[in-house]
Amino acid sequence: MYTEKQKLTSADVKRIAIVANIIIVILFSVLLFAFWNIQVLKNQHYTKLAAGNIRKEIIIKAPRGMILDRNHERLSENKISFNLFLIPDYTENLNRAIDAAARLTGMSKKEINDTLEKYKDFSRSYAIPLKKDLTLAKAIYIESRADELPGFEINIEPVRDYPYEGMASHILGYISELTPMELAKKVNDGYRLGDVIGKSGVERSYEEKLRGVDGARNVEKDNLGKIRVVLGEAQPTIGNTVVLTIDMELQKFIEEIFREYNGVVGVVDLKTGGILALVSTPNFNPEFFSGVMEKSQWEALVNDPASPLQNKFVQGLYLPGSVFKIVMTLAALQENVIQPSTTSLCSGVIDIYDRQFHCWNRGGHGTMDLYEALANSCNIYFYRLGKRMDIDDIARYAKLMGLGKPTGVDLPNEKTGMFPTRAWKLKTLKQKWFAGETVSVAIGGGMMQTTPAQVLSMICTVALRGLTPQLHLMKQIEKDGEVIEEFKPQFREIPIAKENFEILIEGLYRVVNDNGTGRAAQIDGLDICGKTGTQLILSLENPKYEQLVKQKRFMPHAWFASFAPRYNPEVAMVVFVENGGEAGAVAVPIAKKIYQKIFNRQ
Amino acid sequence: MLKDTFSFFDKFTFAVLLALTVSGIVLIYSASRTLDPAYFSRQLLWFFIVVIVFFFVYRIKTELIFDYSFPIYVGIVALLALQLITGVIIAGTKSWIKMGFFSIQVSEFIKIPMALYLAKTVTKITLIDWRLFFKLLAIVGIPFVLIALQPDLGTAFMLCSFLLMIAIFKKIRTVIIVFTLLTTAAGAFIGWNYVLKPYQKDRLISFINPGKYRKSSGYQIIQSKIAVGSGGLVGKGFLNGTQSQYKFLPTRHTDFIVAVLGEEFGFLGVSFLFVLFFILFYRQFNIKPQSDEEFYYAYFFNGFILFQFLVNILMSVGFFPIMGIPLPFVSYGGSSLLAFFIGEALIFRVKTNTFLND
Repeated sequence: MYTEKQKLTSADVKRIAIVANIIIVILFSVLLFAFWNIQVLKNQHYTKLAAGNIRKEIIIKAPRGMILDRNHERLSENKISFNLFLIPDYTENLNRAIDAAARLTGMSKKEINDTLEKYKDFSRSYAIPLKKDLTLAKAIYIESRADELPGFEINIEPVRDYPYEGMASHILGYISELTPMELAKKVNDGYRLGDVIGKSGVERSYEEKLRGVDGARNVEKDNLGKIRVVLGEAQPTIGNTVVLTIDMELQKFIEEIFREYNGVVGVVDLKTGGILALVSTPNFNPEFFSGVMEKSQWEALVNDPASPLQNKFVQGLYLPGSVFKIVMTLAALQENVIQPSTTSLCSGVIDIYDRQFHCWNRGGHGTMDLYEALANSCNIYFYRLGKRMDIDDIARYAKLMGLGKPTGVDLPNEKTGMFPTRAWKLKTLKQKWFAGETVSVAIGGGMMQTTPAQVLSMICTVALRGLTPQLHLMKQIEKDGEVIEEFKPQFREIPIAKENFEILIEGLYRVVNDNGTGRAAQIDGLDICGKTGTQLILSLENPKYEQLVKQKRFMPHAWFASFAPRYNPEVAMVVFVENGGEAGAVAVPIAKKIYQKIFNRQ
Repeated sequence: MLKDTFSFFDKFTFAVLLALTVSGIVLIYSASRTLDPAYFSRQLLWFFIVVIVFFFVYRIKTELIFDYSFPIYVGIVALLALQLITGVIIAGTKSWIKMGFFSIQVSEFIKIPMALYLAKTVTKITLIDWRLFFKLLAIVGIPFVLIALQPDLGTAFMLCSFLLMIAIFKKIRTVIIVFTLLTTAAGAFIGWNYVLKPYQKDRLISFINPGKYRKSSGYQIIQSKIAVGSGGLVGKGFLNGTQSQYKFLPTRHTDFIVAVLGEEFGFLGVSFLFVLFFILFYRQFNIKPQSDEEFYYAYFFNGFILFQFLVNILMSVGFFPIMGIPLPFVSYGGSSLLAFFIGEALIFRVKTNTFLND
């Protein structure tokens, strides 16, 4: 604690001053040297960087390829969209700019802020897309007032246009912006925030072909964001054109007559396997997705119990009902379980394994052979078959005919469906297969699941007497008017004797032409063959059946799988009406109208 | 008497001060053109105010100043504390007191009574012991904490220069030095891990690798270097600084005024500024003061200016973390300008006193 008070002498002061002088001389020398280094020695380096600050690369968005029908009708094309961009760095007052943006676009300030938030990690001089598809008048208004509205930019971009509006929506699908998750996966393919991608349908399955190659323009901008010099430009490349097998006139016709129903209609050209028309209802308008959708609109679409966003052709899973009798017939014939002449007596009900199984005809059909059983869709006949056959054998034939496996059609998210086997049941449900279950399977009930696409594939195989065509939508891909890729039709042969098919087809002929369940489709001069299926929602065994089945939601689904003409068939078709009621009353007449349209043209 | 004070008035150094301030105004004109032209007019107005205040302060007897140094110190500390408290009540307004057209930044003014009072305390002492150590720590520390809580770490940090200078001038017991080093290390550790906010931490380390932080705190450093570096030998010309004009540097009228200087007037412009500052520091370190207190005060305050000058310059070329510190006399800031001019007035008086009483 010893402190000494001592006054400073002038010698001290002098000494301190000298030290101070030395220090400041050294400091300033170092500083001068540092600045010399940066300003003179490294001048070029920094000048380049300075230029880099004002040089910008502007992306020129490429137009997407068109989608055409087989006659080159435009189903999905591009139009010019005027888009508004905001560059925060060039605005003088960001809040005022946001207010102006809200006024000009009609967007809420919250929406605008949310958009800006998405781009918060980007450079402050990045052009943030605010609103697409401004009217020409608005675009001109904003362009002409660039001085009052610094930081706003108008760009021209190609966007999707659908000349046929909501038609063929499930074939075409829709496009919209990539979600952050999708972006993360696709970043190596050159997708950027704000890009669009096909989300469903052909837009998605052929995304790579349809997507163009963006161009770029290198410019120098001044501090107001105005372009002063264009240094270079690379033009964008338009995407390839996808030509579909679809015939738009037929498609329009079917959409019109099918409008009041929920379900699927699919028509195939048997020469190639190309799909001529495909309708899944209810549907939606793809243009919905090209703008900013209201959250309520999106939720309405997603939560609609009729599933308008679902392509029921490949995503709807149903029981095939009596249409499955096709498989049973082929399986039984091929395994020599029956002959065409094999008869059985239908009295309306049968006792199997101590259970009662009813025929849909309560009074009974009487004695029937195979052809009559098919024509009248007698359940009893097939219950007996089910009793005599093993589920695994049936499963094998089901798979051969295309049920329980994807068709491979070029639409995204095709469901596989399912066909039960002993092994499957043991593994999944940890139970042994009960023989009684085979009886339900025999008429297309039980635990199987198929899509309308699979049913269509099956009837094609029947029509072609054992050749399964590859169902497809893409006919060819074109670039600059030249065909660069063509779909080569493929057929797979399945090991079932041709005679057995002919036997089956005789039965299917009688369904339509011999007063069978499909008689409503009979057309003179056209030998239509087919099989109806009335897929019950309620069991016939249900005591309240008669009463409940009057309600729409308990009405059975209606199937009709058919082809024409009988010899050298040209066209196959599946009609599926959800809760349609009796197949013969609903699905079959629709098919007739379509056949009339198709063959009258010829 | 009036004549006396003005016959010995150091006109040359005063001219340097004016030159610095005017240079600042010129640069602010360029810098604020695309920001807010009000900055220029306000700085101009402050210029006239501070010159008038300068002469009023210059006329005051230094003994009086030293006598009142402690009460003034306490007064400003009280104001700082009050600001913090009202800041809690009125969120966000912790550093400025608005008075109509002007805003006063109270923290800028603490350096004057602090320098005075420290000088007084340290005079005639050869060795610093524990008691004195803690006293000095308190004198600097209390305002430091109050300002740091505003939060304004940069301005608070500048006050540490006083401690540095005291350490240079006075012998300290070794124990105390060791103790200080250890507690500083511990404090830095705690501060880094528990006290500093992420943006403050980023600011501190981004100068090492600004590229890594180029979208946040590193951005300013990179832009400043680009502006300075692209200026070359003679600069791009007045009002032609593309980087500064193009709003790549938002704080170019305050922290990064050197970027505007470097870009528009080049190495020659920067050297000119350095020459002015050098003259200032040189002439204020080489004095023959009348009393020890005056000596210490002059050195403390001059050293403070030198310290702040260094930090700002180094910051603008990426050799120091971003501190939010303006360049004395040159950067925009009325309170800063006024505080420095008042302190300068006292130094000038100290110099004049040599001749007055001999």
